[in-house]
Amino acid sequence: MLGFFTSSPVQTALAVSAGAAIVSAVIGVFTIIRGQSFAGHALADISSAGGAAAYLVGVSPMLGFLGVAVIGAGALEVLGVKRAAERDLVTGIVLGAGLGLTALLLYFDVTARSTTGAAVSVMFGSMFAIPPAIVVPALLIGAGAVGATGLIYRPLLLCAAAPELAAVAGVSPRLIGFLHLLILALAVTLSAMTVGAILSTALLIGPAAAALRLTRQAGAAIALAAGIGLVSAWGGIALAYESYGWTPGRTWPVSFFIVTIVFAFYLLSGLRARAA
Amino acid sequence: MKWLVFALLGVGVPLAGQAAQIAAVGVENQYADVIAQIGGPYVQVTAIETDPNTDPHSFEISPRIAEQIAGCGLIVENGLGYDDWADKMLAAAPDPSRKVINVQALLGLPDDTPNPHLWYDPKTMPVVAKAVAAGLAALDPSNARYFMAHAAAFDAALKPWFFAIKSFKAGFPGTPVAVTEPVGDDMLQAAGTDIKTPFTLQAAIMNGTDPSPQDVTTQNALFTGHAVKIFVYNQQVTDPLTQSFLALAQAQSIPVVGVDETMPAGYQYQSWMLAEVNALRAALVSGKSTRSLP
Repeated sequence: MLGFFTSSPVQTALAVSAGAAIVSAVIGVFTIIRGQSFAGHALADISSAGGAAAYLVGVSPMLGFLGVAVIGAGALEVLGVKRAAERDLVTGIVLGAGLGLTALLLYFDVTARSTTGAAVSVMFGSMFAIPPAIVVPALLIGAGAVGATGLIYRPLLLCAAAPELAAVAGVSPRLIGFLHLLILALAVTLSAMTVGAILSTALLIGPAAAALRLTRQAGAAIALAAGIGLVSAWGGIALAYESYGWTPGRTWPVSFFIVTIVFAFYLLSGLRARAA
Repeated sequence: MKWLVFALLGVGVPLAGQAAQIAAVGVENQYADVIAQIGGPYVQVTAIETDPNTDPHSFEISPRIAEQIAGCGLIVENGLGYDDWADKMLAAAPDPSRKVINVQALLGLPDDTPNPHLWYDPKTMPVVAKAVAAGLAALDPSNARYFMAHAAAFDAALKPWFFAIKSFKAGFPGTPVAVTEPVGDDMLQAAGTDIKTPFTLQAAIMNGTDPSPQDVTTQNALFTGHAVKIFVYNQQVTDPLTQSFLALAQAQSIPVVGVDETMPAGYQYQSWMLAEVNALRAALVSGKSTRSLP
């Protein structure tokens, strides 16, 4: 187990995944209260186009994820519709267009450039292949997201829980909604780097949903969700590291372990909530 | 004198505009080169995998390629899953007279052979050349002697490469090397090097799957501990991980030798392979990096 902590790919994975898990959990709580889980999922999937484009032009995938997630947040805001049913529709359409673009870009990645495995990395993550140089910018993005959430904590909560009250209090629900999407884009960027664009939803929604089943108090839910996210991410990395001995010389995908632990937390929280 | 006769034949026949050329396909351009060297003016060769900037492992087929494969009289494919799609194209356009040379089958290798890059093995191409000459002779018996003579000339032209491998092995026995992916492994083994990179890491990079952190740590330690003298870098199968290895090797002043999946422009098979061994030697003797062949 000593090798686990001294291994540089493990250290990088622990650092980046911690940032991803905490930021996703924090913003995930607001996302669920606002009923925007589907938007969060869509934003994550769309960001895959950025990851694929980054491979094509040869820049860090993180820049790609970030750029497209922010553009996606802007698109959802511009197309923004109040009624929930219509909002899902618009989100679904933007999601489809984004994934179509990803398909094209991944095709170019593998046919026009020597980027083996780009599809797997972008969609499902390759945490042990993250270059160590990513750690500092990733943690800065994470700190920015948490800091921004802290700054607009009260209006964010008010808009999420009682939009009518927020308007009376002089808060612009539209502005707050857009800021929420922007922070969401930052969270998605980090989780796409770790568990991949497709699986980002699990980190965003899973820990927050489990926490909200255990407590209805926003502050406590945020802390609990961050804890669940962190345990899932680090537990997943440890299990993936251990799996080296299960099928000789091959580690199982770390994304699988993380998502499975998140799912287990969600199921357990259901038992606990029912008992209470 | 013999050479003069061949040269005259070679020039004379196409000018006379006689027998139609045999359409042949080398799925990878190194195999196409072997066909061209043996078939000379009697063969029209098409290479399919030629782009040095793409990864042949993730190749996509176009309708034009399907047509070329369907219409060819002789085809050389690698096998071992490297170009499975070619088999599907051939099955879709059956032609009993077509000569299909599957290099894996030719060498009698089992399907679970871990390293599909057969052309880096010095034992491979002489066998392929013989099979190509026999196939062409069966399709065009009137030029059988030409094909046989050129297969012999092909073998003779491999000698400098074989000699370079032998003298490398004798001069630098057991040289420790690191690699990204197994493309050049067969040649490195023939040259007596000790490949320190775990094969599971090489396979993960080749197949684009998640590497294990244990293997990445092992590989990084090879560079930081100066446990290897050369880093052999596959330029056609790259990702952020291989780039981080490259940066680390360069930071530690470990010479880098680039290798390729397909034959680079400006080379024939023999001169390409010889240039790779010469690059390995230059890396050891003078610490010179050859990221890509000139």
